[in-house]
Amino acid sequence: MTGLEAISAHNGWSIAIVGISIVFTGLVLLSLTISQLHKALDLWEKRGVYWERFKQRGQKTAEPPPERECIFLPRDVKESARQCKLLVEHLGQPFALPRLLEFSDRCGLIHPHSTINELLLAEVIIPDGEGFYLWNDNVEFTS
Amino acid sequence: MGNLSDLILQFIGNTGYYMLDYRYLTMLIVGVVFIYLGIAKRYEPLLLVPIGFGILMGNIPVFKGLGLAIYEDNSVLHYLYMGVTSGVYPPLIFLGIGAMTDFSTMLARPLLMLLGAAAQMGIFLTFLGALALGFEPNEAGAIGIIGGADGPTAIFLTAKLAPYLIGPIAVAAYSYMALVPVIQPPIMRLLTSRKERLIRMEESREVSKQEKIIFPIIGFLLCCLLAPAALPLLGMLFFGNLLKECVVAERLAVAARTSVIDTVTILLGVTVGASTQADVFLTPQSVGIFVLGALSFSVATASGLLFAKLMNLFLKTKINPLLGAAGVSAVPDSARVVQHVGQEEDPTNFLLMHAMAPNVSGVIGSAIGAGILWSFIVT
Repeated sequence: MTGLEAISAHNGWSIAIVGISIVFTGLVLLSLTISQLHKALDLWEKRGVYWERFKQRGQKTAEPPPERECIFLPRDVKESARQCKLLVEHLGQPFALPRLLEFSDRCGLIHPHSTINELLLAEVIIPDGEGFYLWNDNVEFTS
Repeated sequence: MGNLSDLILQFIGNTGYYMLDYRYLTMLIVGVVFIYLGIAKRYEPLLLVPIGFGILMGNIPVFKGLGLAIYEDNSVLHYLYMGVTSGVYPPLIFLGIGAMTDFSTMLARPLLMLLGAAAQMGIFLTFLGALALGFEPNEAGAIGIIGGADGPTAIFLTAKLAPYLIGPIAVAAYSYMALVPVIQPPIMRLLTSRKERLIRMEESREVSKQEKIIFPIIGFLLCCLLAPAALPLLGMLFFGNLLKECVVAERLAVAARTSVIDTVTILLGVTVGASTQADVFLTPQSVGIFVLGALSFSVATASGLLFAKLMNLFLKTKINPLLGAAGVSAVPDSARVVQHVGQEEDPTNFLLMHAMAPNVSGVIGSAIGAGILWSFIVT
């Protein structure tokens, strides 16, 4: 028996098609695995960093938001205090008190000395222990 | 005086000169040609010189019954040949191949593995061709594996499927492997345009030592779980590679790629050559095997080239289609041929290391193909 008849009689077509498919499948699987291998190894090497990040994210959500203190300020001081806050944001923190005073005066703040004094007494402006001052973000104004 | 003349006549009658006929003479000439090609032309000398001398050894006509010929049960050559017929030598050669192969170019660009898969189509298309010519399925499977261009794989599968064809198939497989620089270039030039041959490949990424260590374990598990019949060959290949890459077993790796593979190559080459006895080898069947073997090789080369061109239809960054020819697992000769043909167009285009990727994946692919043929035909 020869020719196409011989191929069909011995299941040649099936063997050839399935055989080629299996060879391709094997090498495709292997190439896909290899292509991801260096990424998996990279992930494994940096597992400490990713674990730390995951923990930090968890801690941030777990911590309750800090309680904000309500400070009573007279209406006119409250408006000046808001302007002071803008000046502090411009100066950056920590800031020097004389510098805040100078800026307040230059910007035309009404009664800058007494305003800053009121803010110091109300602990809206707090010392950082090194001769500079910080704006207390845990404070809300009310009038 | 009568006794003396009888003794002399008996002696003359037992000499090889007396028993020599045209068939043995033909094979002796073939043996000498193999040795010439190996030494003078340097075509695969590590294979052709032992095989050539084995052909000489196997075709000295001897008196049957004295335990001299390779097919006589109690001969030395027969015992050495048992490593071939039992399928022991090829896995040991694969151990050495694994211990000397660097898979990093393949790991850096896994896409090129598909070219190694495509080239194995030559195995199955030749299998169909052999069936069509009237060979039995086991013979057709053994003939088809010549297209894998892998000598140890061809010998291993033939030993399992059709041991009586080991001689012609092994000689055909190794001959065509040695003639890769002659067979492949015309096909490569025919199926690719000049513009395609000029394509430059991108530099591959750096492969870490960890990847090189993990790959043989993953490769072994993935391939052998898919095709368990490939276990003897692929198991030894990946084991040898693990010995090389893990560094801690460097002594074993050195032994595998030097003394073990060299010893087995000597024994395999000589015994395969000796198995080509004229009365077994010079048959119309052998001629058919040689013709189909050449076809198998050519089809495998063409399949790899055409598949590379097909891949380029879908890739943004084109690959040089010459790399498809390196999918035949004649390591590293077909990769060298790709480099040579590429440099004919552009001497500054270095394709060798890129071609090693499909070349080594072709070794894996041909071993899987052999395992599949073995499991389908035997069961």
